[in-house]
Amino acid sequence: MSAAGPEIAPEGGLMRVPSERIGRLMDLVAELSLSVAETVRSPDLVGLELSHFETAVHRLMMIVREVQDAATDMRLVPVDEVFKRLRRMLRELERQTGKKIEMDIQGAETQIDKLVADRLYDPLLHVLRNAADHGLEPPQDRVAAGKPEIGSIILSAAQVGSEVRIVVEDNGRGLDRERILHKARERGFFGPDEEPEPAALWKVIFEPGFSTAENVSNLSGRGVGMDVLNTTMAALRGRIVVDSAAGQGTRVSLHIPVSLAFLDCIILRLGPRLFAVPVDMVAEIACPGPHDLPKLSAGGGQELFRLRGGSIPVCRLENFFDGMQAEPRSMDAPPQVIVVFQTSNGPLAVPVDEILDRQQVVMKPLVGRLAQVRASYGCALLGTGEVALVLDCERLGAVGGLP
Amino acid sequence: MMNQTTPATASQDALMAADLETDTIADMYLTFDIGPEEYGVGIAGVTEIVGMQRIMPIPDMPDYLKGVINLRGKVIPLMDVRLRFGIVERSYDDRTVIIVMEVGDAPIGLIVDGVREVREIAASQIDSHAQFGRGQGRQVIAGIGRLDGGVAVLLDPSVLVSDGDLALGRDKGVD
Repeated sequence: MSAAGPEIAPEGGLMRVPSERIGRLMDLVAELSLSVAETVRSPDLVGLELSHFETAVHRLMMIVREVQDAATDMRLVPVDEVFKRLRRMLRELERQTGKKIEMDIQGAETQIDKLVADRLYDPLLHVLRNAADHGLEPPQDRVAAGKPEIGSIILSAAQVGSEVRIVVEDNGRGLDRERILHKARERGFFGPDEEPEPAALWKVIFEPGFSTAENVSNLSGRGVGMDVLNTTMAALRGRIVVDSAAGQGTRVSLHIPVSLAFLDCIILRLGPRLFAVPVDMVAEIACPGPHDLPKLSAGGGQELFRLRGGSIPVCRLENFFDGMQAEPRSMDAPPQVIVVFQTSNGPLAVPVDEILDRQQVVMKPLVGRLAQVRASYGCALLGTGEVALVLDCERLGAVGGLP
Repeated sequence: MMNQTTPATASQDALMAADLETDTIADMYLTFDIGPEEYGVGIAGVTEIVGMQRIMPIPDMPDYLKGVINLRGKVIPLMDVRLRFGIVERSYDDRTVIIVMEVGDAPIGLIVDGVREVREIAASQIDSHAQFGRGQGRQVIAGIGRLDGGVAVLLDPSVLVSDGDLALGRDKGVD
């Protein structure tokens, strides 16, 4: 090995490898998998009887998949490092808030993509500050409420499916429904008589510029950290879930994909365009009957999809996006299929022409002029060499219900 | 890996040859056709020239951004320069090529009627843009290069790929 080669640590058979080398390997693995897919789906092979070839292809695809997984695993690190940095901030938070806080860390060994871990500190610090500053009561209030004087914050991580959930939970006063609702109505998030579900209401506390802190402290309450949180979560394709019980505490969960390298997607076609949707966003796929898609004249022609007695708002991609005129569908075209996305605003029905495939796609960020595409995480390179737009169902759902 | 159409390969060779003389690269321009006119871009920003390929349309884009191509694992948005200039669209043929450039750290492919050659145009042969266009802001025309028996309109790629309106000195409405 040259001097610049990996260092082998004497104690535990661990190697230090520069992260750009792993990045390079990941890029190559991505190109390899695309290239293999392109080869085995070559139009030159259409119509040929190739039974041995098929067997070999099957085996090749399995190996490529395993290489992908192994490469992805190499970049996984425990969240411990981020958690340790946050713990060091605790003393500072105590000093600034004048509160006594006990922090319990759980699941620090949970693994996450290094690229994700590197970006978690700022958003988590923000959530932690909120918990310390707004969540936990001052010691005298806690004693008056019959709680232990020392406030508790639990910072935990766990893997659930392809997501890592990082939770900051305090045992403070809980969110004040009346105050938040009042402010949310003022800001126009809800109508004056609307009584939103708790989960829908709590989400607004993470809207940019939304802060109910009466006195703006040095710690939080200026609504600035929220932007960092929202931007980072959008970039990491994560989402925020808030739960709270009055007098008992607040729990903020960040749900983040374990790895950003490959994305398990369903590929959809609408007209000439291809879209990719992360598999875990798809609740179900349905074929609508002739009367299942009524239009509400009162709602400006808002379409609904009737499913098992319930109604789901419909978002037509050709209406949501600019420059996608609905091409007239020929009479003998097969009926459209409806994909139901599970967003944090509830289900959203999106009609498409066809569902093509389920694939591990390589995602490329939208840079330059492509950055102006709304409701998309990036471009997915498909095995066929085609490019699909990866839909951000949350952002689609946030405005998709409106005409 | 990539199938090149013949004119693209020819100019690719020209590109390579030009690459060797890095000391004069600032004066080197790749010229191309839009209708009867000859245009040019500085060669330093040009990465490669490829033949026309399947374009995947992308929503939320102005009409002159036709979509993207997957060029060996890189996603490249394509700009139809005719549409960008507000000239009538023309169907692509075997001369149509894509000039792939790197502008402001992002790739862009320019769809042009055809490439001509790599020319050396010394600064003294270029009339500055200040005399063209009308008025304020940065102009897409960086200058006019005087050539033997003609001129080449030299473009500023960063203005070309920006989303601003182009003040081309052509009176196109009063908006």
